[in-house]
Amino acid sequence: MTRHLQSPAGMPRTSAVSRRAVHGLVLAIASLSWPPIQAAAQQEDDDPHREARERLVRDHIASPPFGAQYAVGDEEVLRAMRTVPRHRFVPPDLLSQAYEDRPLPIGHGQTISQPYIVAFMTELLGVGPEDRVLEIGTGSGYQAAVLAEIVAQVFTIEIVEPLARSARARLEELGYANVVVREGDGYYGWQEHAPYDAIIVTAAASHVPPPLLEQLRAGARMVIPVGPPFQVQTLMLIEKRADGRIEQRSLMPVRFVPFTREE
Amino acid sequence: MSAETGRGPLHAVVLLVGAVGIAYEIALMRVLSVAQWHHFAYMIISIAMLGFAASGTVLAMLRRRIEGRERPLLALGALGLSVSLVTCFAASQALPFETFRLVTERAQFGYLFALYLVLAPPFFLASWCIALGFLLEPARVGRLYFFNMLGSGLGAAAVVGLLFWLRPALVPAALTVPAALAFSLSAVGLGRRWQLGLVGPAATLLLAGGQEIRLSEYKGLAYAQRLPEARIVARAHSPLSELTALASPAIRETPGQLSGYPMTELGRLPQQIGLYFDGGSVSAVNRFDGSLAPFAFLDYVTGALPYRLLERPAVLVVGAGGGTEVLSALAHGARHVTAVEADPGVPALFRGPLREFSGRLYEREDVTFILAEGRRFMEGQPDGSFDLIQLALLDSFTAAGAGVHALAESYLYTTEAVQLYLRKLAPQGILSVTRWLKMPPRDAIKLFATLVEACEQAGLPDPSRHLVLIRSWNTATLLLSRSPLSQPQLAEIRRFAAERGLDLGYIPGIRREEANRHTILERPFYYEATTALLSGRRETLYRAYAFHVRPATDDRPYFFRFFSWRSASRFLEAARSGWLNFVEWGYVALIATVLQAALAGFLLVLFPLLLFGGRAGRRRGAVAAYFGALGLAFMFLEIAFIQRFMLLLAYPVYAVAVVLAGFLLFSGVGSWFADRRLTSTVSAGSARRIVALAVALIAAIGLTYLAVFPAIFRLASGWTDAGRVALSMILLLPLAFWMGVPFPAGLQLISDRNRALVPWAWGVNGAASVLGAALATLVAVHLGFRAVVGLALVLYVVAAVILSASLSRS
Repeated sequence: MTRHLQSPAGMPRTSAVSRRAVHGLVLAIASLSWPPIQAAAQQEDDDPHREARERLVRDHIASPPFGAQYAVGDEEVLRAMRTVPRHRFVPPDLLSQAYEDRPLPIGHGQTISQPYIVAFMTELLGVGPEDRVLEIGTGSGYQAAVLAEIVAQVFTIEIVEPLARSARARLEELGYANVVVREGDGYYGWQEHAPYDAIIVTAAASHVPPPLLEQLRAGARMVIPVGPPFQVQTLMLIEKRADGRIEQRSLMPVRFVPFTREE
Repeated sequence: MSAETGRGPLHAVVLLVGAVGIAYEIALMRVLSVAQWHHFAYMIISIAMLGFAASGTVLAMLRRRIEGRERPLLALGALGLSVSLVTCFAASQALPFETFRLVTERAQFGYLFALYLVLAPPFFLASWCIALGFLLEPARVGRLYFFNMLGSGLGAAAVVGLLFWLRPALVPAALTVPAALAFSLSAVGLGRRWQLGLVGPAATLLLAGGQEIRLSEYKGLAYAQRLPEARIVARAHSPLSELTALASPAIRETPGQLSGYPMTELGRLPQQIGLYFDGGSVSAVNRFDGSLAPFAFLDYVTGALPYRLLERPAVLVVGAGGGTEVLSALAHGARHVTAVEADPGVPALFRGPLREFSGRLYEREDVTFILAEGRRFMEGQPDGSFDLIQLALLDSFTAAGAGVHALAESYLYTTEAVQLYLRKLAPQGILSVTRWLKMPPRDAIKLFATLVEACEQAGLPDPSRHLVLIRSWNTATLLLSRSPLSQPQLAEIRRFAAERGLDLGYIPGIRREEANRHTILERPFYYEATTALLSGRRETLYRAYAFHVRPATDDRPYFFRFFSWRSASRFLEAARSGWLNFVEWGYVALIATVLQAALAGFLLVLFPLLLFGGRAGRRRGAVAAYFGALGLAFMFLEIAFIQRFMLLLAYPVYAVAVVLAGFLLFSGVGSWFADRRLTSTVSAGSARRIVALAVALIAAIGLTYLAVFPAIFRLASGWTDAGRVALSMILLLPLAFWMGVPFPAGLQLISDRNRALVPWAWGVNGAASVLGAALATLVAVHLGFRAVVGLALVLYVVAAVILSASLSRS
């Protein structure tokens, strides 16, 4: 079955897919010495949430109730989702909902995204173990942690000071040494480490900051979830073609056809 | 008992309490619009109902114990009212309630419930005082009702005036003064010690000093306050809005996506100050030093398209706000710009604290600033005045997506409005409207449908040659050219779209393969929808589309409502699989209010009915039906007229104040009249006759108004504000006068026969009034203003029949 969202027409993913196959092998070897995975492995035995996380990934991400065509199939993404302890990223009073497939408030008008959306966006980015990713809008740090399980380096910028501080502390505590959190305005990106193999922008804005497009490597992708608080209505997928041309795609993360069939 | 203590104070007490009650209600609506969102207006109405109905029920149930103690109980109620205004308000602001979190946190339902409980006491106590007043003066309820209505009318008018110079958060404190006076008067004759109670309200005023509104953390301003170096540089307020100007280097608001803007070549965006309206939607004020070079970025948004087609145009910007569209017009070589803005806070800030920062934008020779509502302003302009009419993006991206404005009336986006714009355009002129886009598509499709139908109604032979729709990923700009678009113009549009990487949704002669090329959607939705709208398949599209995209009209001015019951199952299915993303909050709030009001009405009205049952049971049923029908009918007319008079009075808040004041005042006069005709011990026959007469006249006047309003409103569109307010009052007078008759006539009848039923009738009427307010909006959204008026007239007839068939028989 073809999953048209993962392989949208006119935006071939073959390069990313084949690259991932190669990387899979590299990863198998590299993971032996990879800090985040080690950290996670240590926790595995005494993690009471492991089962809940498995269930979340199985029932909501690998086979979501809103349609098999939206299943996230990338093994690396699924592994990352199975590994990152989401309960460490949600406020203590919402702990019981940490492994439900829904966004949760983290204060300051921000949310920790719905796990399915995190997985879906991560898959859309098409990243591998040698990639460097820029994230604008760290929030709780959960998306950064998921990316850190897959890629070499995550640079993430958060404009709300207390959020940036707590995310940094949390990621450090969990052993994600390959995430760098910066406090501040992400509009101009992070020139020092550019270009990036993928950029994810979770802060709503009236326009995509032009500097971010400039810091995107040719052939790389940018993903922007769009919608009011707690509602991702559409995902903007921007691809910078090899010739520098920008191609955009507005994706619905759920099957909803506005025209009925009788039409 | 009461008879010996003068009536003067009692009338004054009822008047003051009536005024405080309604003023508090209107002020709370403003507060909740700032703290949360506009749709909370409905919630306040239902909270008021809860209070009103509850007091009626409690008094009815305690009737034996009350007897002989009415005076002190009234005084206690007034004291409670004067103390509760500030304290209840302060308590409500301490509750951590958040609309958006209802979906994720069960505790939020608890906070919502607590909010109801905390806000209801002042309404309960106000209603308590008035109902006790009826018990104190059983022979003259009509006259007392008059004073109550007079007070409410004055209160509605006064609070609007008050909001010009007081922030809404301070209104409860201001209202404590008349409430305390009401208490003091109500305690006259009870002994001097009672007056010591005044210490209570005085103490609450100390609490009120620093009262601020607790802003939802999901509102734009709350978020902006956490930006680096954020500081509030100025504030302005009016009955329309609270306006906050906030500066931070991280504010960068553009009218949509900057498609392909070469920032390294053309430079960074100018420094901006964000103007936040009610803490929500934002409009940017750009630093301007007279040089237009920094505004090159405004040529990289969809809204720049019309400037490619016009040479040095005379431009009208509707919703000028912070002035970005005005700068865009100037940067694109406009000959002259007329900037129309409805909010008086904007010119106040531009004349004051933002004057230098904005480069005196609104004082330039080539810019004329007009403080007016857009549509009203245009109605007064000569035909053919403008080369370009720009309807700016008035709300924020986030608010648009959440559907919080779903039930806000807007007379800017109706088919009648578009026909008006067409008349005001020069022969080669263009109307340009930009909207934020949502997925799945709806706004731009509805707007396109509106333009198409307006063209047809205006008699343009072939609308398909006049229209354009281009889009980026987050905005669409629609053009309607008064003349058919020329070949060179079409070539220019295609060139602009290609240069900027924008998509053609529609252009005369569009081919399928031209659509959906840059920001690729699953299907070429806009192409498919627009071509269907221009073909014979329009009705099919309206019916088959998942959202309500039929154009808004002056009869149903709800452009922002997209929810369609026909698709409810599809939305529910999406919600059940964990997807609540199509929630339209405004609509949900209304439905919730109707359900809640119906439930509360059942508990507070029907439950006691069942409890008492027995011999009085049937009589109670008739009483409930009569006063329930009157409450519904009264509110149906009131809400319908508020909605309709927005067109005449331009500002919603003025429409609310004028219509409420007029309705209450003139109904009060009507009830005074009824009282004079029905002095004590009414004969059933005379009550029946006067109610029948009133209902016949209400129906006649109502039907006449339905027919003549459009013509009258058009005639008066050029009049001064005072002239239009006067006209409104004259129109309201005869209708409201007769609407004031049935209630006291029925109440007097009951008062004479079974006084214990009076508070209960009062409670039922209160409950029905508030259910009526929510229900009227629901009917207006789906069936229109005429249907609401028609239903009200039917309800009046039903009431008259009940009175003559049941109530007047002993």
